[in-house]
Amino acid sequence: MVDTTSIKKEEKIEEQSDSTESVVSEIEQSFSLISKTASSFDNRYISKAFRDLGPLRRKLTKSILITIINKLYPSKINTNKSYLFGVLDVVQDDNAMVIDHQEEDNEDTQPSSILIPEVELYVHLLIQVFLLDQNQLESLNILNSNIIQLMKLYNKRSLDFIQAKIWFYIARTNELLEDLYSIRPELLASLRTATLRHDTETTSSIITLLLRNYLLTHDINQASNLVEKTVFPANASNALAARYYYYLARISAIQLDYSTAHEYVIAAIRKAPQTHLANGFIQSATKLSIIIELLTGDIPELKTFKRNQIGGNFEPYFYVTRAVKLGDLNLFSKVLNEYEALFKKDDNFTLVSRLRQNVIKTGIRIISLSYSKISLKDICIKLHLDSEESTEYIVSKAIRDGVIEATINHQKGFMQSKELLDIYSTKLPQTEFDQRINFCLSLRNDSVKSMRYPSDNDNKADLNGKSLDKDEEFDILKALEDGDLDDFMD
Amino acid sequence: MALVSAAPYLALLGEEDQSLKSFALTSLNDIVDQLWAEIANNISKLEELYEDESFEKRSLAALIISKVYYNLGDFEASVKYSLNAGDEFNIDEHSQYIETIISQCISLYNTLAQKKYGDESVTIDERLVAIFEKMLEKCIKANELKLALGIALESYRIDVVERILVHEIEVSEENALNLINYVLICSNSVVPNTNFRNQVLNLLIKLLLPLTKNQEFFTIIKIIVQLNDSKLAAQLFKELVSKGEDLIAYQSAFDLVGAAPQELLDNVINQLNKDFGDLTSTSKKILTILSGVPTCDLDITFLFKNNNTDIAILNKTKNLLEGRSSIFHSAVTFSNAFMHAGTTDDSFFRNNLEWLGRANNWSKFSATAALGVIHKGNLSQGRNILKPYLPGSSGAPHTKGGSLFALGLIFAGHGREIIEYLKNYIDEHGNSAGANDGDVVLHGAALGAGVAGMASGSESLYEALKVVLYSDSAISGQAAGLAMGLVMLGSGQETAIHDMLTYAQETQHENIIRGLAIGIALLNYSREEKADSIIEELMSQESSILRYGGVFTISLAYAGTANNKAIKKLLHHAVSDPSDDVRRAAVLGLGFLLIRDYTSAPQIVQLLSQSHNPHVRYGTALALGISCAGRAYSPAIDVLEPLTKDPVDFVRQGALIATAMILIQQNEVSYPKVKEFTKRYADTIKNKHEDALAKFGATLAQGIIDAGGRNVTINLENSQTSTLNIKAIVGLTVFVQSWYWFPLAHFLSLSFAPTAVIGITGDLKIPKFELNCHAKPELFQYPPKHEEIKEKQPDKIATAVLSTTVKAKTRAKKKQDLKDETDGKKDVEKMEIDEESKPETEVKVEESKEEKPAEPASSEQAQVRYAKTPYKISNLSRVLPVQSNYLSFIRDDRFVPVRKFRGSSGIVVLEDTKPEEEVELIKTVRQLNTTDAPLPEAFTLSAEDLRELDDDY
Repeated sequence: MVDTTSIKKEEKIEEQSDSTESVVSEIEQSFSLISKTASSFDNRYISKAFRDLGPLRRKLTKSILITIINKLYPSKINTNKSYLFGVLDVVQDDNAMVIDHQEEDNEDTQPSSILIPEVELYVHLLIQVFLLDQNQLESLNILNSNIIQLMKLYNKRSLDFIQAKIWFYIARTNELLEDLYSIRPELLASLRTATLRHDTETTSSIITLLLRNYLLTHDINQASNLVEKTVFPANASNALAARYYYYLARISAIQLDYSTAHEYVIAAIRKAPQTHLANGFIQSATKLSIIIELLTGDIPELKTFKRNQIGGNFEPYFYVTRAVKLGDLNLFSKVLNEYEALFKKDDNFTLVSRLRQNVIKTGIRIISLSYSKISLKDICIKLHLDSEESTEYIVSKAIRDGVIEATINHQKGFMQSKELLDIYSTKLPQTEFDQRINFCLSLRNDSVKSMRYPSDNDNKADLNGKSLDKDEEFDILKALEDGDLDDFMD
Repeated sequence: MALVSAAPYLALLGEEDQSLKSFALTSLNDIVDQLWAEIANNISKLEELYEDESFEKRSLAALIISKVYYNLGDFEASVKYSLNAGDEFNIDEHSQYIETIISQCISLYNTLAQKKYGDESVTIDERLVAIFEKMLEKCIKANELKLALGIALESYRIDVVERILVHEIEVSEENALNLINYVLICSNSVVPNTNFRNQVLNLLIKLLLPLTKNQEFFTIIKIIVQLNDSKLAAQLFKELVSKGEDLIAYQSAFDLVGAAPQELLDNVINQLNKDFGDLTSTSKKILTILSGVPTCDLDITFLFKNNNTDIAILNKTKNLLEGRSSIFHSAVTFSNAFMHAGTTDDSFFRNNLEWLGRANNWSKFSATAALGVIHKGNLSQGRNILKPYLPGSSGAPHTKGGSLFALGLIFAGHGREIIEYLKNYIDEHGNSAGANDGDVVLHGAALGAGVAGMASGSESLYEALKVVLYSDSAISGQAAGLAMGLVMLGSGQETAIHDMLTYAQETQHENIIRGLAIGIALLNYSREEKADSIIEELMSQESSILRYGGVFTISLAYAGTANNKAIKKLLHHAVSDPSDDVRRAAVLGLGFLLIRDYTSAPQIVQLLSQSHNPHVRYGTALALGISCAGRAYSPAIDVLEPLTKDPVDFVRQGALIATAMILIQQNEVSYPKVKEFTKRYADTIKNKHEDALAKFGATLAQGIIDAGGRNVTINLENSQTSTLNIKAIVGLTVFVQSWYWFPLAHFLSLSFAPTAVIGITGDLKIPKFELNCHAKPELFQYPPKHEEIKEKQPDKIATAVLSTTVKAKTRAKKKQDLKDETDGKKDVEKMEIDEESKPETEVKVEESKEEKPAEPASSEQAQVRYAKTPYKISNLSRVLPVQSNYLSFIRDDRFVPVRKFRGSSGIVVLEDTKPEEEVELIKTVRQLNTTDAPLPEAFTLSAEDLRELDDDY
C-alpha cells in the first residue's frame, strides 16, 4: 500500500516537474519577447507576450513562480524577492524539492541578462494573475501596494503596456475586496503621470478603471466630470476603447441622454473584439443596448435576442421588450417582478424601471396609429391606467414629447390624431442619409489611419536576418487584431 | 476613506464669512488632486475669489486654480495662476505638479526671452523671471554649471552666462576653460540668432584674454575665426610676441590660416605690418605664416612625398574610353586631375601627349586647367609651370583660358601674388568680350580671378569683373557672374547683390543669369537670417534660373546649421516647384544644410530618393554625397546603393559620384563595401551598353575616391576650430554646377584637404621623428593597388603600357636595393621630364612592398578600438580624421607639440627640447626648388634631385 502511494507520488512529481519545465520555458520565451520590446522600442512584441498570457495563466503554479523568481533574483537577499515570496506564502518544505531542482537549472542557464524593468514588472503581473486566480486577495493587495511603488521608479515607454495591465489587476483586486475608495487617489495620480508622459496605453486603461470604479459606487456625477475633463487617447487599443464607450453609454443613459448613450453602446459593441473571449462584454453591452433602445422608443430587432453564439440570458430582456412593444403595462409589471433579481445583477434595474413610461407611450402611439380619433376613456381602459384624468396628462405629455402627432379635445374628452406627414417632404431623410455617409467616411478614414505600412527599416532588418520570421510576424499581427482579450470580465 | 465629493467645500465658498471661505480653500487644496474634475466645474467661483482683492487667501485660490488647470492639461493657464499664487507655490516641493509647472515656466520664459531679444516691446512677467532665476540659482548651487549655462544661453541671458563664468574663473581657471569651451560649442549648435551668438563670442574673448594662467590661445583663435575680427587677431599676435610665446604664435597663425577667409588674413597682415614697428624675426615669421605660403608648402610637400596614386586605374579607364567622344576625354581629364590634385605629379599628361592632343576646344580648356588642380598650392612654382600656356604664348585660346583658370586654382584662396596679374589681364581685355577667341580667355581669367581672390572682398577686382559682365557675352559673362560671387563670398554686400540681380533680370543670356544666380548665392554664404529678404525675392522670380539661385542661396546662407525653417523651405520646393532644375537644386541643398548634422541626412532624403522624378533622385544622391562627404556613413550608402542601379543615366552618375565622395580614403578593412564600389566604377566604365553620362560619373568617381594621391579627404567641417570649411563648401557648390558646364568640375579640388600630421619646428622646418598610433594598423592602410592588368587590351596600347611598366619595375627593383630601410615607407613617384615635353618620359614606380605602409585609413564600419600597443608612424604621413584621435606623441621625445591635447592632426608646431642636437630635416617642395633647381625651367623636379634627397637620408 505504502509502496504504491509512493510510486504514484513519484510519478506525480515527475509529471509535475515536466510540466513545470515546459511552463518555465514558456515564460522565458515571453521574457525574450519582452526584452525585444525594450531593445527595439516596438511594443508589438509585448502584445504577443500578452496573447500567450491567457493560456499561460491556467498553467501557473506556485512552484513555477518560485522557480521564476529565483531565476530573476539570483542573489539571496533582495527586497523584491523577499516580499514576492512573502505574498506567495512560501513554506520551506513545500518547495525544497523545487528549489533544488531549480538550482541545477541555475548552473547551466547563467543569470546572464541584467534584470530589466520590463521583465521584472511582467513577473509581478504573473504573480498578480496567479494570486487572483487562487483568490488570495489579501496577499494580492499587499503585493499591489509594492507594485505601485515599483512602477513609480520607472519611466520607460516600453513599460506602457505592462503597466496598463498591472493597473487593471490592481483595480480588480480592490473591486473584489469591495474597497473601491482607497484606490482612487493612486489611480488619479498615475493617470496624471501617464498623461504627462504621453503614455496612451496606461492613460486609457486608467480612465476606464476610474469610470468603472465610479460607476460601481454609483458616483455618476464624478464619472461624468471625469469624462468631461479628460481626453481619451485616440489611438488607444480597441479593447480599451470598447470598454470606455460602454461606460460612457452607461453614464449617458443614467443621465437621461439616451440618444448619445445609444451611439456609445453601438460603438462599444462594434469595437469589442469578435472572439469568444469577449463574450461576456458583448452580452452586457447588448443588454444595455436593448434597454437604451427601448428607452429611446425603438424596439430592438428580434435577432438581437437570438444571437445564440454569444450566449447569456436574454430572456428577461426579451419579455420586457415584448411588454414595451405591446404597450401592456400589466405584462411589464409582471416581468419586472419576476426578473428583478436578474436585472439587479446586471445593474440594469434602474434603467428598466424607467421603461414603464415607455410602455405607456408605446401604447398611446399604437392607439394613435390605429385610431384617428379616440376618447380618453377608451385609452384609459386599453392601457389599464388609473383614471381618465391621468390619461389626459399622459397623452398630453406624449404629444409634447413628440411621441405622437395629435391634439386633445378637452371638452369632449377625445384625442384626435393628425394626418401623417409625408416624411420625404421633410429634411429628415436627408439628415439621416447624411449621418450614414458621415459614418461610412469616418469608417474609411479610420481604417486608412490604422493601416500599418512596413517601413523600410523593417525590410532592411529582414535582409540582415535580424528580424523575426514570417510566422512570428503573423502571430504578432494576429495578437494585435485580437487585442487584449483578458480584460473583459463584465 | 477618501472624500467622494467636493461639493460641501465648494458650497462653503459661497458663504459670506471669510474664515469659512479660507477653511474651504485649505480643505480643497488637500483634495484637489482627487476631485479636480468636480472642482473644475466651479472654477469660476474660485477665480472670483482670486480676483477679490480684499480676500486674504487669494493666493491659495490661485494655487488651487493652477492645480485644477494642471490636471485638466491646460498648462498655460496653470502657469499663469501658479505665478499668481506667490509663496503658496513652493518650488522646492518634490511633486509632479511642481516639476511640470516649473519646466513649463522655464520653457515659457525661454520663448518670451527669445522674442524679447528681437523685439523690446515684449514684456516678461517679473514673477516668471523670478522663478527662472531661482531655478538657475538652484542649478548653480548644485554645481550643475553646464545645465545652468545651457539654459541661460537658450534664454539669451548673457548676463547670467557672464556671471557664472566670471565666478568660475575666480574659483578655478581650469574648470572655467572647460565651461568656456562648452559655451563655445553650444553657441554654435543651439543659438540660432547670429547677433546673440556674436555677443556671446565677444564675451568669451573678453573673459579669455585676461586669464593669467592657462592662456588658451587656440580657443581664442577659434572665436576670432567665427567673429571674423582682424583687430582681435592682431592684438592676440602682438600679445603673444611680447610675451615671447613664439611657438604658440606660430601655431595660432597656422590655425588661423587653416580656418579663416582670405579677407580676414589680409586685414590681419595689414594691421600687423602697421603695428610691428620693426620687424623682428618672430614677427616676420608670423607674417610669412599668415600669408599662407608655408601652409601650402607643407601641404604640397606632404602630398608630393606620400603620393600613392594608382596610375593603373587611370590608364585602364583612359584606354577603355579612348577616342569615343569629348565627354569621355573630359571625364578622364577630371579623373586625372582629382587623383593627382596637389601632388604636382602631371606624368599622366606627359605620358599621353597624343591623347592629350586630341582634346578640342573646351576639352582643351579643361585639360589645361587640370594642370592647375594637379599643382594646386604650388605657390612657388605654379606660374612657371603654366608659363608655356599663358596668354602671350602661341597656344590656342582655349589653352590660354584654361591656363588662366589653372593659375587661379593653384593660388586658390592664397591669391595675393597673382590676383594683380589676372586683374590686369581682365582690365586690358575686359572690353573685348564677345569676340570669339578673347571670350574664351576671359572666361578662364574670370574664373581664375574668382578662385584666387576668393573671399578677399577686393573691390577693384569686383569692378573689373563687372566690366566683363556688362559686355553681355554669354561665355565670359557667366564666369564673371560666378567670379563676382566668389570674390565677395559671404560678404552679403547689398549693392553687389542689387547690381547682380538687376543685371540678371535684364540680360537675355541664360548662362549669365545662371552665373549671377550662383554668384548671389555665394555672396550670401553663412548669412543665415540676414539673407532671408534676398531669398524671398529670388524665390518669387518667374525665371526658374533665378529660383535655382534662390535655392542655392538658402542652402549656402544656412549651410551647416540644419535650420528647420530652411529645411522646410527646401523640401517644399523640392516637391512643388514646376522646374526640374529648381527641384534638383532644392534636394541637393539639403546636403549643405545638414553638413554638421549628417546622420539625419539619409532619413530626411530617403523618401525623396524614391521619387518618380529623376532630377529629385539625382539631387538626393548628391545631397547625401555632400552632407556625408568623407564620413563613410553607411546609412547614406544604403540609400545610395539602389540609386547606382537607377534606370536613368544621370541619376546613376550622381549616385556614383556621391558614393565616391562618401567613401573617399576608405580601405577594405575599415569599410568592406569599398571594394564593391570601386569594382562597380570599373564595370560601369567597361560596360559597352552603359550610357555615356553614367560612365562619366564612374570616371569622376574613380578620381574622387582616390583623390590627391589617396591623401586628401573632403572635409567640410574644420575639426580643429569646429567652423565650416568655406573653401570646401564653395568648391562643392560650384562643382555641382558642372551639370551645366563641365569645366566647373575642377572646383571640386577646392574641397580636398590633405589628411596629414605635419610636425614643424620653430624655424618652420620639418624634422624627422615618429609618433604613436594606438590602433590597428590595417584599419588605416592605403587600399591595395590595382592588380597589374592581365586581361586583353587593344594591342597598340598594351605594348605601350607594358614597356613603361617593365622599365619601371626593373628600376624599382634596383632602387629598392639602394634604398635606406627607414625611408621605405614612402611611395614616391619621380619623374624626369624633358624641357619641351618630348615624350622621353620615364616613370619610376616604387611599388610599396612593405608589410605595413605607415599610412593609415579609417572608418566607422569597422570599429576603431584603442590599442594598447601602438605602432609608429613618421612625421609627414597620412593620418585620417578618425585616426587622429588615436595619435599621440611619444612621451619624453625630443619634439613636443605646443598644443597639448589628443587628436592632433594637420600642422603641429613642435618645441625642440634639445635644440643643440642635430636633426634630420625633410625638405619641402619649395626648398627643393629654390636650392636645387635652375629657376627658369618649366618643371624643376628632376629625378636627380630626388635621388640626392634619398642619398641624404
